[in-house]
Amino acid sequence: MTLATRELIERFTAEAGMAGATVYEARSADEANAYILKLAQEHQAKRVVKAKSALAQEIGLRDCLAKAGLEVIETDLGDWFAQLAGDKTLGLAETASGRTPEQIAALVSKAIGDKVKAEAQAILQTARRVLRQSYIAADVGISEADLAIAETGTIVMLCNEGNSRLVSVLPLIHVTLLNSDAVVPTLDAAVVRLKSLARGKSDGRWPSYVTYLTGRNTTGDIPEALMARAQGPAEEHIVIVNRTGDAR
Amino acid sequence: MSRTMRKRLHQALTNQNLQTALQRRRLLARPFRHLAAATAPDFEPLSREIHRVKEEAIASLPRLIEQFKAEAIKSGAHIFEARDARSANDYVLKVAQQHNVKHIVKSKSMLTEEIELREHLEKRGIEVRETDIGEWIVQLAGERPAHIVGPAMHKTTEQIAELFSKATGQKVEPDPQVLLNVSRRALRQSYIEADMGISGANMAIAETGTIAVVTNEGNGCMSTTLPPVYVAVVGYEKIISSWEDAMAILRLLSRSTMALKMPVYISCITGPSWSNAISGVAQLGGQGPTEVHIVLVDNGRMTMWESADFKEALYCLRCGACLNNCPVFASVAGQTYGYIYQGGIGTILTAFLHGADKAEELANLCLGCMACQKVCPARIDIPRMIKRLKAEFVEKRGLSLGRRVTYGRILKHPKRLDRTVKLGAYLQRPFVDKDSMIRNLPYPLNSLTETISLPALPARPLKTRLEGYRLPNSGTRPRVAFYAGCVTEYAYPNLGEDVMRVLREYSAEPYYPAGQACCGAPALYAGDVKTAISLAKTNISALEEGEPDYIVTVCPGCAVLLKKEYPELLANKLGWSERANRLADKVRDFSQLILELAPSAEKKPQMGKKVTYHDPCHLKRGLDIQSEPRQLLAQEGFELVELFDADTCCGFGGQVVLDYPELSGSILKRKLDEIEATGVDTVVTNCVACVLQLRGGLDKRRSKIKVVHSAELLAQQAKPGI
Repeated sequence: MTLATRELIERFTAEAGMAGATVYEARSADEANAYILKLAQEHQAKRVVKAKSALAQEIGLRDCLAKAGLEVIETDLGDWFAQLAGDKTLGLAETASGRTPEQIAALVSKAIGDKVKAEAQAILQTARRVLRQSYIAADVGISEADLAIAETGTIVMLCNEGNSRLVSVLPLIHVTLLNSDAVVPTLDAAVVRLKSLARGKSDGRWPSYVTYLTGRNTTGDIPEALMARAQGPAEEHIVIVNRTGDAR
Repeated sequence: MSRTMRKRLHQALTNQNLQTALQRRRLLARPFRHLAAATAPDFEPLSREIHRVKEEAIASLPRLIEQFKAEAIKSGAHIFEARDARSANDYVLKVAQQHNVKHIVKSKSMLTEEIELREHLEKRGIEVRETDIGEWIVQLAGERPAHIVGPAMHKTTEQIAELFSKATGQKVEPDPQVLLNVSRRALRQSYIEADMGISGANMAIAETGTIAVVTNEGNGCMSTTLPPVYVAVVGYEKIISSWEDAMAILRLLSRSTMALKMPVYISCITGPSWSNAISGVAQLGGQGPTEVHIVLVDNGRMTMWESADFKEALYCLRCGACLNNCPVFASVAGQTYGYIYQGGIGTILTAFLHGADKAEELANLCLGCMACQKVCPARIDIPRMIKRLKAEFVEKRGLSLGRRVTYGRILKHPKRLDRTVKLGAYLQRPFVDKDSMIRNLPYPLNSLTETISLPALPARPLKTRLEGYRLPNSGTRPRVAFYAGCVTEYAYPNLGEDVMRVLREYSAEPYYPAGQACCGAPALYAGDVKTAISLAKTNISALEEGEPDYIVTVCPGCAVLLKKEYPELLANKLGWSERANRLADKVRDFSQLILELAPSAEKKPQMGKKVTYHDPCHLKRGLDIQSEPRQLLAQEGFELVELFDADTCCGFGGQVVLDYPELSGSILKRKLDEIEATGVDTVVTNCVACVLQLRGGLDKRRSKIKVVHSAELLAQQAKPGI
């Protein structure tokens, strides 16, 4: 890892910490998994909702949590279908490609115990309804940052379905996975990266949702104090996964 | 002066709950005041950048509107352009009815308050739940927001607990954490039930057709994602060109709002949610809304856009920094203003969005202290616009009879003013106490001595005492013309004599140009531009006498007129413009001039005497002079104890002290409390008007604290007999 990256990570960690997030730097997959598992167990979590994350897949986070008895639900539709199919190998962009609407309808029907029509909109509406319940019931939400900004301690998430926003705001605890390469120095540098990411993904269509999240939610609306945890999670954790081996 | 406004102010100032809430808020903000955006070294470059971004966006607004619309439509959003409140409301209602909407969750939006969207929907039987906690409190109370970003800042915890108890049917304790938990639970349920979400927009980014919603609570995220239909109601002025420009704005937005480096959530929404997980083709309606509607609202904005004088009001980011720093707002909070938008910027917006007549009494609440202008992250010159607004009222309807006589017939003519003051000096006699103070004037002037004691008018004004001073003739020493101004002339002539004495001690040749008149500030700030121009010409002619090297003042209010307003007032007047500029160059504040005359004066030894210093508005913000008076104090051997909020107005500004003495008094009270808290027995300031206000207020309190002008202080220090 270059010195510059090291500096970025340190600045990011300091800023995010000041804004109310807890930042943990993991030097290996095991460290990252162990941190998140411990966090979940400390809060007696039972259900976890997860947005799409290449990083989580790489470090085997879902398996780690599932083995410990946690129920982990994928909320990206493609990932969810794959999960229903018992498919462990998730692609990055279009998980469900290769499956016909009929096959997907059958998977969803089986999962919910009700017949779903093999039409895109019918499947979509059902998935939406079912997953909505998962967010509400979940104790922990896990997502991955597409970008992080050192000068402000901000993480940036891109998505089209809207699931990563729900994962990050509804559960009691929110964990953001962050690849150490994804930290950029400034808000402006983030725009440059965002533009190349956004145009590169999803056929040049600008992502429906770009969410900037800095620290932990607060409110100044109840007089006498600026209070932490307004309507979002009680805790924000950022797990930086630094697999370059030479963290210090 | 408006009677209804006086009554409203009285109600606010005597409302125990409101004053308690405001006091608690002040205490809460106190430790953060030094973090305020405007004092940080990077504030200036960052705010200049925001000003540039908004200036360019507003300049090319028609093009950006088209670009925004095209991109938003491409992303799958529906666009509706609403000329006014009615068409915006009707459109949203139509969309709601088409989807058979029963419950709506709404994120905070000043625009929807402006067009009264919630009321419009509720009337048709649709339940609308505000999801910003403060806004929800205000909704439960059936009130309007008291502050752009802190809608419920006027409520105490006890009042909120009562509202929550009523809403939930359970007893809620007035404990902040309990209140927060109750709101979170109640609101969470609303998101889940809602079939439509509504928000405003902090920014609308043209290059991608994106709506950006900023919240700290997380409610923006939820109300825009959970319901199946999402409607953004956006004022045209929110459109900016690019994501880069959005970043420039974000760098100061939350710092200005509540000393946070960044907002917690910035939700950027581009079209409806979609997924290609099923057929490999994008299907609208992922897990967020299937339908997105963007309502672009004019409602008076384009009229503002066409006005060269007021276009700048469209740069407003609705951050509330101006309100947080407005002394009037700090006394009475936002609902007293009576319309949607509060404070100085609110006055301008009200004029365009609700009607010019409604803004008139709001404009008269302005102290002219310029605090708003200095903290605005978009560098909007609010005081200039308020001045312009007042001038327009006068152009349209003329002055009131009282003012027409005062400004046009008396103030304008020095001799008549002298005679009037002489008459006053005669009439005042029954009311003057032994120590030459007036503490109780009879009706109808009683309000003048309600909050301050006044100095008695002296038998001989300054000019009659300085007749002995001849025009300078040494040819070597700097020639200094003393411009006295009305307060020194008619209330503190001794102070005027002190100025002359000190200047001689500093080896200058001071003199008093005989033809000088009132600077015109009272007329100008009341909108009487004609009288102000006439006085500018009188004074320029008078002050050219003796070809001074410097013109010195002890009243920064006058100095701002001489230095800044005269060149502006006479900018297009042939022959006058140049003379005004020449005069402006020579004008110095007293402290500034002393340091200029003796730049390398030896520092006197510390004598252990502690004093505090009050920054006059027109000196600090009008002339950018704050270090000179402090340097002078150090040079004279005083130890300075800094005053908290030293640069907050003393309450004497504008017409407020005359029109609304009760309001002025409450602003003065905070200043005096701070002065007393320093524990010193002398407060120094550099403005005779502040001296009058502070002395008068301290006298009412029977305080022993002395108020002195720098000139008096230096005169006391000087060897006697010079």
